[in-house]
Amino acid sequence: MFNPLEHKGIPLESQIRNWRELNVEPIDPEAVDPYTRCRIITMNGIEVEAINFQHQFARNCPDQEVRRQLAYVRYLESQQQRVVNWLLPGVASVLETTLGYEQVAVDLTAWVARHEPDPYLKQGYEFGVLEDFDHLYRYANLYEMVERRKADKIVQGLTEVMPGRPTVVEHRHPFDEVRTPYDRNTVDPRSKLHALTILSAEQQVMFYYMNVGPQYMEPIARQLYQEISLIEQEHVTHYESLLDPGENWWERLLTHEYNECWLYYSFMQQESDPRIKAVWELHLQMELAHLQQAVDLLRRHDGREPEEIVGNAGLPEPLTFEPNKEYLRHLLATQVDLNKIGEGYVREAHERFEAMQQQLHDGQKPPSEQVIDMHRERFGDEYRIETEGPHPVESLRARGGSHA
Amino acid sequence: MPDTGAPATPGPEDDVVDLLLAQHARIEELFLLVIGSTGETRRDAFDDLVKLLAAHETAEEEVVHPLTRTLPGGGGDAMVDERLAEERQAKETLKTLIAGGVDAEGFDTGIILLRDAVLTHARYEERNEFPLLRQHVPADRLRTMAGAVRMAEATAPTRPHPSAQSAKGNLAAGPALAVIDRVRDAIRRPSSSG
Repeated sequence: MFNPLEHKGIPLESQIRNWRELNVEPIDPEAVDPYTRCRIITMNGIEVEAINFQHQFARNCPDQEVRRQLAYVRYLESQQQRVVNWLLPGVASVLETTLGYEQVAVDLTAWVARHEPDPYLKQGYEFGVLEDFDHLYRYANLYEMVERRKADKIVQGLTEVMPGRPTVVEHRHPFDEVRTPYDRNTVDPRSKLHALTILSAEQQVMFYYMNVGPQYMEPIARQLYQEISLIEQEHVTHYESLLDPGENWWERLLTHEYNECWLYYSFMQQESDPRIKAVWELHLQMELAHLQQAVDLLRRHDGREPEEIVGNAGLPEPLTFEPNKEYLRHLLATQVDLNKIGEGYVREAHERFEAMQQQLHDGQKPPSEQVIDMHRERFGDEYRIETEGPHPVESLRARGGSHA
Repeated sequence: MPDTGAPATPGPEDDVVDLLLAQHARIEELFLLVIGSTGETRRDAFDDLVKLLAAHETAEEEVVHPLTRTLPGGGGDAMVDERLAEERQAKETLKTLIAGGVDAEGFDTGIILLRDAVLTHARYEERNEFPLLRQHVPADRLRTMAGAVRMAEATAPTRPHPSAQSAKGNLAAGPALAVIDRVRDAIRRPSSSG
């Protein structure tokens, strides 16, 4: 397998791009492969995490020379983020991008869950994916109400749209979001990459919703963004708590850069749009040099070799955007009623959960329920895309019909 | 794959913004259909598109833009003038496409240009104009305006089915122009009384 540690990439001093290079042509929203949009959204989240992580590192680093090096690579990562996110088209609405974000959350998390070697971590992804799956359905109904368009325009039948674990019961006491971290010394290196990838993606969803939500005038849209952004916040807590807090700054920097190499390499393999593929290829070549710098810092300041952190087998199997319909239906059928307590999972509602629900909902229906009620009221049914038959959970089948 | 052909029909409670949004959605779908199909399907889809664009743009020129001009924060005349200029340009492209017909050389390029112009224009309206209407115009007036636009669309002639030869020239443009007149009549009637 491709081993990024064996490549030098583009020299750091040659990586700064000019305005012409930054001014990228966006994708055509009317003719885009939905998974190209997903790859763009994913890499944006990854780059945003790279930038924020390096800012935090700099704030915790007393060595002025290291701070300068971090500042330089952070500038390069920032240009990468601007290029990647600017591939999204200006004509797309906030809700259309939102539907793209949720399609990412569903198919990215499902792929990671399928490939995660550690059973406890796998459970964490399986648990989370059913919640994002539900968000896609809530936003799809909002989309038809406020923009009169159908979510299938975005997901194009690759991802089904129907209830997951209902958003109303996703509001748990924050204590119960905190998971047990993996052990950095014994965990499979793949698990580190999985956790960092999903954490970055969910964090970007949270940032996006908490900032764009108030741009809406429609009260139901404002309220739904507020509600779901709070869930995404809890997802960040859930996923970030999987990472071993004992990892030091040097090894975390290395894992970040290695992860970026893995993802750009993965997306380069499968990209259907040649123009976008060229971006992934260029960014991989840039990341290889960022990785070299991280390796250098690790050796000098931590006295360790990169293989001790990410193994010597090279990159894992490429992460792939592909339909996960059967897998998701299986999870729906077996885990939709799962809840969390402490650092584990239970099926029963428990006292702390009930108390939180009582405090937050206070006897009212949350926006995620109201949006479906309003859709039924206005259109006579709800919006779903069930390409593989009726919902696997009988109690979550459409009341009063659905259309796609 | 689910059927995406028919948008949900706007109900009686929908206002003119809902109706125009639904038309934008339908216009997007028709562009996809025209661009992705060939032969008779493409011809029919293009005819539908021409008819809908005619009704839609006329309604906007008669109702939406003049009203926006008068609203606080409406950007004054400049914003409306920009939209009108875009509409005029789109109409020129459309005329050329109608004249040449779907089999003409250059149709594939022209339809993409038209699509980009029309959909960008639609998004500007959705972001800048429609929110102002909802904010400043009484809900019942917006609903009445929807009625006028809907009635005008309903009385428009059915889709033309020109033969292979007659697909060229003004035969296809004729019904589109008739739609424009009917939409104008229908819109002007209620607005002059209230």
